[in-house]
Amino acid sequence: MTDFHPHVKRLIDGELALADLPPELRAEGEEALRLLAAVDRRPVVLSAAVDARVMAIVRRRAAVPSLWRRLVQPRDVRLRLRPWILAPALAAAAALILLLGRTAPQPAAAPVTVRFVLFAPQAQQVAVAGTFNQWDAAATPLVRTRTPGMWAATLQLPAGQHQYAFVVDGARWVPDPSAPAVDDGFGRRNSVMAL
Amino acid sequence: MSQREGATDGDVVRAVLAGDIERYAELVARYRDRYARYAARILGSADDAEDAVQDALVRAYDQLPQCRDPDRFVGWFFLILRNRCFAERRKGRDVAPLEAAGAVAAADRADHDMETSERQRALQQALLELTPEQREVFVLKHVEELSYDEIAERLGTSVPSLKMRMHRAYDRLREALRDRA
Repeated sequence: MTDFHPHVKRLIDGELALADLPPELRAEGEEALRLLAAVDRRPVVLSAAVDARVMAIVRRRAAVPSLWRRLVQPRDVRLRLRPWILAPALAAAAALILLLGRTAPQPAAAPVTVRFVLFAPQAQQVAVAGTFNQWDAAATPLVRTRTPGMWAATLQLPAGQHQYAFVVDGARWVPDPSAPAVDDGFGRRNSVMAL
Repeated sequence: MSQREGATDGDVVRAVLAGDIERYAELVARYRDRYARYAARILGSADDAEDAVQDALVRAYDQLPQCRDPDRFVGWFFLILRNRCFAERRKGRDVAPLEAAGAVAAADRADHDMETSERQRALQQALLELTPEQREVFVLKHVEELSYDEIAERLGTSVPSLKMRMHRAYDRLREALRDRA
């Protein structure tokens, strides 16, 4: 058994002092404090060249408008429904987005109900992560629907452009094959929707 | 690059968006080092941290029209850097080589005794065995020394979920450090 006692975890959190622990937990508490004492808080200073490199890229970007800048221009909302595309390499199945409950006219800032649906029969858990939840893979889980293998979640999202991807079993990031995608700048594809 | 006295982040962001791109250098100078330690501890390498911060600064420029509150640029930039660090995981390179972890712990070692350095190295290597989410909350609380409330606000999540993540991290760190003992 290697789990710290809950009181010791509160000690590490700074909510209790070592003296607050019962005698039988003191040794475990001291072990926890040794762990904490090994935390390296020394600053990390980057090379001076970072500034020059960033600004060189910024100047090039300013000279040539990027795909991203074109994408974020305001556009009409379009309902996209496509047949699912099963991608064997992904082994994930297809996804689609339904825009629900948007009754015109509404103020531009009104939230839009979005239903995320993913067909992933082998998955044990599915979530959606994107710009609307700070790419937190744990923040927005999908739940199983009555249709075997189908997962869904309904969210209220602000109008505008959002990037997102599905997260299967906490590890595999799957773009939405039914939505347009952009390179995330780090070698992967993010799906994009305009609400 | 000299910074204009008294210019807030919001002032600079609005100037850049209005076309004065050279002023972006002010934001670069302000924030290039601020989260370098966070990135280094998350990625396990000072070199990777430098790449991540540089990429995040460029990406922040690209997405600047999306910064809804220019006066809170720094929080918005942090989320971009966080996304960049987590993208490493998506590339399957979330666990840095051990020598890189050691390099982080060993940097500037002259003013540290060997035992302290060894403990730091062991903990940094153990941190790399956590999930990125666990590692992040540990780094924000115990390296950046933020409170749970501050972390929750920054990451847009709840304190109870953060504590759950953190307490799992404590157990995994204990196990990893015992295995190394």
